[in-house]
Amino acid sequence: MAEQKLVTITIDGKAYQVPAGENLVDAARNHADNQIPVFCYHPKMAPVGMCRMCLVEMGTPERDPNTREIVHDEDGNVKVRWMPKLQTACTQTVSDGMYIRTTTDQVADARNNVLEFLLTSHPLDCPVCDKGGECALQDLTMAHGPGKTRMVFSEKMHLDKIVPLGDLIVLDEERCIQCARCIRFQDEIVGDDVLAFHERGRTLRIITKSDPGFDTYFSGNTTDICPVGALTTVDFRFGARPWEMTSVPSIDPWDAAGSNISLDMRLDRDFGGRAMIKRVMPRQNEWVNEIWISDKVRFGHHFTRAEERICAPLLRNNGNLNEVSWTEALDTVAGVLKAANGDIGLIVGSGASNEDLWALRQVVNGLGSERLGAWPVTHTGGELIAQVGVGKGTNLGKLGKGDVVLIVASDIEEEVPIWRLRIKQAHDRGAAVIVANARKTRMDDFASHTFRYEAGKAAHWLADLKKSAPEAAEAVKSAANLIILTGAEGLTLEGHAALMQAAANLLIETGHVGKPNNGLLSTFPGANGVGQYYLGYTPEQSVAMAAKPPKVLLVAQADMLADDPSVAAWLDKVETIISFSMLPDGITAKFAKVVLPIQSFAERDGTFTNGERRVQRFYTAQGPMGWSLPLWQIANRLGEKLGQGKAKLSAAAVMKEIAASVPAFEGMDYRALSKVEKQYPDVGGASDSYYYSGTACKNTGGLGVVIPTAADKGETVKAGEVKLPAVPKAGKGEFVIIPSTRLYNREAQFKLSTVVHPRVMVPFAEINSADAAKLGITSGDVVQISANGGSVRVRANVNGGAPEGSVVLPRHLTDEPVPMAITVGQVSKV
Amino acid sequence: MNTLQEKYADRIETTLAKYPDKRSAVMALLYIAQEEYGWVSPEGIQDVAEVCDMDPTQVKSIAGFYTMYSERPKGRFWLQVCTDLPCALKGAEKFHHDLKEYLGVDEGGTSEDGMFTVEHVMCLAACDKAPLLQCNFHNYEHLDMEKMKVLLDQWRAEVNAQVNKS
Amino acid sequence: MSLNIIFREKDIPNIREFDVYSKNGGYEALKKALSQTRKQVIDEVKASNLRGRGGAGFPTGVKWSFIPQDNPINYVVVNADESETGTFKDRQIMENNPHQMIEGALICAYAIKAAAVYIYLRGEFWDVAHALDAEIARARKAGLFGPNGKLKDADGNPFKVDIFTHLGAGAYICGEETALLNSIEGKLGQPRVRPPFPANKGGGLYNEPTVVNNVETLANVPWIINNGAEEYKKIGVGSSSGTKIFCLSGHVKNPGNYELPFGVTFRQLLYDYGGGPLNGGEFKAILPSGGSGPILRVTDEVLDTPLTYDDLRKFNSILGSASVIVMDDTVDIVWVASKVTKFFKHESCGKCTPCREGTYWLDKVLDRILAGGGKESDVDLIMSVAKNMQPTTLCAFGEFAANPTIWTINVFPEEFKAWVDGSKKPAEEKAVARPARERVAAAAAPAGD
Ligand SMILES: Cc1cc2nc3c(=O)[nH]c(=O)nc-3n(C[C@H](O)[C@H](O)[C@H](O)COP(=O)(O)O)c2cc1C
Ligand code: SF4
Ligand code: FES
Repeated sequence: MAEQKLVTITIDGKAYQVPAGENLVDAARNHADNQIPVFCYHPKMAPVGMCRMCLVEMGTPERDPNTREIVHDEDGNVKVRWMPKLQTACTQTVSDGMYIRTTTDQVADARNNVLEFLLTSHPLDCPVCDKGGECALQDLTMAHGPGKTRMVFSEKMHLDKIVPLGDLIVLDEERCIQCARCIRFQDEIVGDDVLAFHERGRTLRIITKSDPGFDTYFSGNTTDICPVGALTTVDFRFGARPWEMTSVPSIDPWDAAGSNISLDMRLDRDFGGRAMIKRVMPRQNEWVNEIWISDKVRFGHHFTRAEERICAPLLRNNGNLNEVSWTEALDTVAGVLKAANGDIGLIVGSGASNEDLWALRQVVNGLGSERLGAWPVTHTGGELIAQVGVGKGTNLGKLGKGDVVLIVASDIEEEVPIWRLRIKQAHDRGAAVIVANARKTRMDDFASHTFRYEAGKAAHWLADLKKSAPEAAEAVKSAANLIILTGAEGLTLEGHAALMQAAANLLIETGHVGKPNNGLLSTFPGANGVGQYYLGYTPEQSVAMAAKPPKVLLVAQADMLADDPSVAAWLDKVETIISFSMLPDGITAKFAKVVLPIQSFAERDGTFTNGERRVQRFYTAQGPMGWSLPLWQIANRLGEKLGQGKAKLSAAAVMKEIAASVPAFEGMDYRALSKVEKQYPDVGGASDSYYYSGTACKNTGGLGVVIPTAADKGETVKAGEVKLPAVPKAGKGEFVIIPSTRLYNREAQFKLSTVVHPRVMVPFAEINSADAAKLGITSGDVVQISANGGSVRVRANVNGGAPEGSVVLPRHLTDEPVPMAITVGQVSKV
Repeated sequence: MNTLQEKYADRIETTLAKYPDKRSAVMALLYIAQEEYGWVSPEGIQDVAEVCDMDPTQVKSIAGFYTMYSERPKGRFWLQVCTDLPCALKGAEKFHHDLKEYLGVDEGGTSEDGMFTVEHVMCLAACDKAPLLQCNFHNYEHLDMEKMKVLLDQWRAEVNAQVNKS
Repeated sequence: MSLNIIFREKDIPNIREFDVYSKNGGYEALKKALSQTRKQVIDEVKASNLRGRGGAGFPTGVKWSFIPQDNPINYVVVNADESETGTFKDRQIMENNPHQMIEGALICAYAIKAAAVYIYLRGEFWDVAHALDAEIARARKAGLFGPNGKLKDADGNPFKVDIFTHLGAGAYICGEETALLNSIEGKLGQPRVRPPFPANKGGGLYNEPTVVNNVETLANVPWIINNGAEEYKKIGVGSSSGTKIFCLSGHVKNPGNYELPFGVTFRQLLYDYGGGPLNGGEFKAILPSGGSGPILRVTDEVLDTPLTYDDLRKFNSILGSASVIVMDDTVDIVWVASKVTKFFKHESCGKCTPCREGTYWLDKVLDRILAGGGKESDVDLIMSVAKNMQPTTLCAFGEFAANPTIWTINVFPEEFKAWVDGSKKPAEEKAVARPARERVAAAAAPAGD
């Protein structure tokens, strides 16, 4: 980046050097430790100057009209021409020679007056308000406000106190101070302007008229940035007072973004007097999620304390699972493993931490097996990520004019919503966003160019970009920075491998590797899809096991039967299955000989490696459910039983071993991972909450450490051969089935989120109108879709979303599994 | 194609042609919706949103900001009496009061026969012709209750004639 | 004394019609302007001292000169929102001599290299707008402008600027130029933060540099181009050149619009033209600039003051849009304050805190006083609330809204005293008007949907 230009501004008589172009409120805070109070201003959004809280005196040096020299008074001080009226600091960009006064009576009066005005119609709800304790209005009133109100009327203006804006967010119209932050968030940050003001003057209030109501994947963020308690989530409303809670740093357990979050814990009667998650808040990490999280993270935590959790080891006897002691369970497993003679396979889901992956691997390797399968079998190409993944220092929040983001085969909003949010912002800053997919996705709305290719042919399209999309090829070639983001939608595993290779080649050929904001990204499933690769697990191994099932299979944190109808057949051929599971699933119900209860991310510590290869720590927040244990620990104890050495005492110790053994993790330890540094905008902690008013939690748990790529380390990276796979072809009477991802689905864990559950779509499939006409299907009809040995019944959605000859079938909406990857099947009207 | 697009195609097209941006047509379209539905109904909001390529929330927001869009059903004749200062100096407040009493309605209310809605409004920029009112956006000036009664009868008769015809 | 630069219908009947206007020298000024360079046109307007008639009195030529001529798209917006209490001149211009305003707007469009002209009419001008549309269509058809424009400018380029009307829908704030621009863009009619100003890139209509001028302002332009700046300056006094239309309303025998040269006195206006007090009473107070300007107590000194931008300053008042509301001695000034405050409360857009809350608060206390429940401290309270609003609001509306309170208390303190010391009591029954849309819980009507 170019050297930042500095300008000199004078605040309260003292000169400061500040970066040119910075907002005055930010500059004063960052460089002069002068906290100009604000309500409507938010550093992530364009200023609007509405609340008038940030008024300051502003002036410029007087200049001699003839010489243009700055005029000085007798004492040699610069003579300042102060503007007659106060100016809002939030709408000013610093400029050289700017003079500001923030401590004069005039300014103090203005602050006092604006607060008094705000309080004229604000209800005295503080004792029962969720925001009490982290409310900007409360804090600023203490600091700058009137002692008591002069607005004494028997009736204040009364407005509605409980207005559900959607299923998740509730508005208290009386508390709203009309700062429009929520409206602007939806408009500017999300790009979905479903909130607005209604009427005017004192009756101005927030409405939504979209159908369904306030319905976005990011709605919860409005409750964070609302400076008062006007917006609350149904999940947290009246749940706890901010000061009663303890913030525990954690990581989004759902997707590859690895959003930094805070689990706000409180001892709770509903949970037997133990600490439970009262709310999930974003934790600022400008590299990763800034200060935003998706509603899935915010509202999806209920499974951590669900009654359904498996709380003790279970052993199958006469077909029934019975509770047993850990000793008995582990002895049984150890016995089974020893008897297998090394014919052992291990399949681990993408939600297991690095420590889990490592510890389990030790057990299996120790018994002479190398069969480490990653689950689900959708994304691959980890080795290419290791070579040319996005360069160290990448920050999607810095992409802008001249840069290109090329998204292929992904429905990014559904797969990694935070990336969608940040790339949309990049688009607004001028980056060219190119979206290619076999069908229309939401990201098309924020794209500079969109391209379609035949389903399954993403790699074909990209490998031959010059022919298939010359404009895209040109844009890519001339991009200042280029990120290629791949998904696996509409692809087989081979198809994704080829796409990854084509993407890597393009990056290498155009020189966009080994630099920040350049390189390859992929929407690996789960929180640790990339970690799986680094610790030796591959989906190809899972495929190999399906072809030649092992005698004993360990399945950890993978609800395999829910992921593809073809799985049941090969699991049937496995002699003994051992399950490591949090919740009952198909495997525990039908297949497992032993079920070992594992802890959720909230009950233990560990690390995940996100899609950008950032290794990040999450911390223990909640006590264990029953006798469950962290997965790594179970593995360690098992190892002990098998004579592989003593169990480790902590996850930190496991990480030490990883660091010593796996080059990618070299030098990493829990201390390094927990390092933080000052971030801009500086959200600050609770004491500073009035600045951005409880926007997000301060980052206390660590910003994480990024694994460098080969290109980062200066190693030569070479383009490889793209093995274009055959594309599933539908025969007569057949359809190509394109499985898609929905953020809200009925996967076992997410299903337990009581607040979001009603918002999960009824199972549906998108069918092309031409096909629908042929089959006599209209929207809403129930259709049966059969493929990979299974079949599901879903509602047809005839909307032109699916390419002709195919159906787009969202995964995990039904109780029956739908195919994991693109395939061929039958569709019929029921 | 929604109702507005079907019934008012020409007017919508002329309106859209005025501006470089569809959103600019929202105000004119809200008038059309009001004309079609008698008020700015949810259907009207939806229709306008589709034409202007806006979220219905934004359309509703516009409808709520301006006083000439009625967000609830009203009588056939929307009588808006100016009672602002210059008119008030000329007895407009009394006129407004008497009119409401004559029709038996409260402020903003509609007469029992569904015919007249009475509302006071701010300055109509015809202060030299006080008292005056606007009925369905047309001005009637230099009024008093006697003239008013004649007008009311006349309007009622017009509607009845129409009803009888159909 | 009267000289009809704008109200030419008084001399030429039916000049509102395109044919009549054309036959009487109509659109000659446009042709003349087109034969000159843009700079010449702007310089002429500058030299004439023409100042904005929308209220602020900003020099029109100077405003035009701010527009970057190298920008590919600029706009002219005619402010026909005319919503200030007691203002009704633009209506008469548009009803009776619309082409002169159109011609003025086109001259401006040429001078600033505009791509189009939008005329923003308040929604209540429904009929005016439709008549105007018809006249615009006639002139457009005659090839004076628009896609088939036949005129050529000094460089030989065809003059194809087009004119469109845009109807508002009931919002005083849309007279404020940035709120007006938002309104045309289909957004909420709330003022924008400045800078950027409308004349700057990023600040005008659709982000393009834009001139916003009042109807009356532009209606002066053809005369200036035809007769020259020097002739124009001969009318009026000092820096207040030309004629001004005074909207006279309230307790006078002959309310109406009077086009008179600047410098005419209140006495002349009220007596010679207005015909004196309506019911034979005494004049007591004048609001010289509608609801938004400070009130004047009628004295000989005031009556003999020449009406110019500068002369009213000595009474801490302004000429503004020259909407002169006259009140006789039957009027209760506290009632006036309350009346005008209700207007502002009703019209506050709600965007900024001090105005949104302040107007609501002022209205409440004034109501309390007028209900007989006021205390002496209430007068200090509203004074202080009003004064706290003025330096803190986002746009000038907030200043306007505080004026009725501040200046009625300053100028007529005894009237407030009478209310709060109990010597004045509310009448038994009084039809106190309530804004139609007030949404107080007690009166909450069921929402429509
Ligand atoms: C609250 C407010 C209301 C206004 N209303 C009007 C109006 O109705 N008509 C008008 O011409 N100018 C109005 N103005 C002034 C305009 O903002 C702007 O200054 C004017 O249109 C410029 O034109 P001029 O230079 O020709 O006067 C208003 C200003 C404010 C602050
Ligand atoms: S709800 Fe909150 S964020 Fe939205 S405008 Fe009101 S105070 Fe601001
Ligand atoms: S006006 Fe500056 S923070 Fe609200």
